[in-house]
Amino acid sequence: MKKTNTIRNRIWVLLFYVVLIGFWQLIYYLGANVFGWWKPYAFPNPQGVAYSFVGLMEEGKLVIAILYSFKRCLMGFAISVVIGVILGMFISFFPKAGNAVKPLISGIQSLPSVCWVPFAILWFGLKESSILFVVVMGSICSVIVAIDSSFKSVPPMYIKVARTLGADNVSLYRYVLLPAILPMVVSGLRQAWSFAWRALMSAEVMAATIGLGFSLQSGRDMADINQVGMVMIVIILLGIAVDKFVFSTIENKLLRKRGMLV
Amino acid sequence: MSIILSNVSKTFDGTKRETLSDISLNIEDGEFICVVGPSGCGKSTMLNLIAGLDRPTSGTISVDGREVTGPGADRVVMFQEAALYPWLTVIQNVRLGMKFIGISNDEQERRAMHYLKMVHLWDFKDYSVHEISGGMKQRTSLARSLCMESDILLMDEPFSALDKQTTNKLREELTSIWSETGKTIFFITHSIEEAVYLADKIIVLSDNPGTIKKVVENDLPRPRHIEDADFISLRKNLLSYVRKEVDKVEKDEYDTK
Repeated sequence: MKKTNTIRNRIWVLLFYVVLIGFWQLIYYLGANVFGWWKPYAFPNPQGVAYSFVGLMEEGKLVIAILYSFKRCLMGFAISVVIGVILGMFISFFPKAGNAVKPLISGIQSLPSVCWVPFAILWFGLKESSILFVVVMGSICSVIVAIDSSFKSVPPMYIKVARTLGADNVSLYRYVLLPAILPMVVSGLRQAWSFAWRALMSAEVMAATIGLGFSLQSGRDMADINQVGMVMIVIILLGIAVDKFVFSTIENKLLRKRGMLV
Repeated sequence: MSIILSNVSKTFDGTKRETLSDISLNIEDGEFICVVGPSGCGKSTMLNLIAGLDRPTSGTISVDGREVTGPGADRVVMFQEAALYPWLTVIQNVRLGMKFIGISNDEQERRAMHYLKMVHLWDFKDYSVHEISGGMKQRTSLARSLCMESDILLMDEPFSALDKQTTNKLREELTSIWSETGKTIFFITHSIEEAVYLADKIIVLSDNPGTIKKVVENDLPRPRHIEDADFISLRKNLLSYVRKEVDKVEKDEYDTK
């Protein structure tokens, strides 16, 4: 029963995207060839996007671009996690300092990461490190906020029980607080990853010579709107894939074990 | 170990009324004490103070001659809610406290088996917390507390959420553990029957502010039976004290409305 339902759901989802692509092709055709709303080269179409995909795949450029982007995103994300976890713990240890710093952190979090690009280029030049800088600045604040708020969400009872069972500070953190915050931390990291991915694209458009963001930019430079559209779709699909297959999987596993997810 | 409360008062921040007022009490080594009283009379506050989870506003509490400054494994607390850790299995929950105080793995294993069998949960030892019922959670929590083998056990209405049968069974178990080990047990309950069944000494608290209204020695021979005439008469006796208190609280609440 359940299985047939999921298969049916998948068929519906597939059908939706087939119709969506058909609709896109139709709009393109009507706009470019019937009503003349736009020039054929100014609007991507499914067929052109597919050709562009095959072309870049054959040249091997797309795979290299994806690998480069992934590598940068991972590195930036890793740096963010390491520094962010330390800062997040610092903030929850010292609430007074934390309260002073928190508005600044949420301010920076809402700042579009492209704003960091001029600084990055000025400070690091057109190098990998400037891209990493932008990625870190774009994602670190959500790590800090996630760590801090996950400590706050631990039920006081967990701590009381541990204390009356004789836990010292080290045991309290190792056996109670860290496992307790884990699901929230994972969902925070999930958000941080998506921020890192977005920041990376801004940085690559401005300052890279290889990578998905650069492919986007070079598509624009060559007035190849289909390449731009194709790269956009690749960026979206990769974002979804990481979210679903990495973060969602870990999160669900943790929650299921705790009975917080049926 | 003995527990001595001298002139203990507690006022919570932001409230004018004293929750507990000038409580003095000697709990001797190996005594089984039950505290009864209307809800909101400060029973749990008293337990939290002895546990070291809260500090008295004035007065001192000492355990075995040393002043209580914080919680510790010599005064294990069993709370009204099971408060198990959902990422651990039943047996992992039970072993955690022993891990905290550095008990060897073999001994952890042995005690966990002993007490989990006692509460009839050995077959469920590898279950996740969310897979067992509320009563089973509470029994797990009891096993976790007993595994610590502390000299003092503080219990805050531990059986109030359980069904009658389980409650009776666990009361029996608790009395036999107490008589075997000579632990000091400080037990809060709202059930007079439970207090008469378990305690050597029953303390009736009154409300507004929380003070000791009456201390009743309970010399009924053990094992006790709730149908015995002596049991019933002591129960009635106590009920009259508590009822006065409950009536008073209700009247106060009514008057202030």
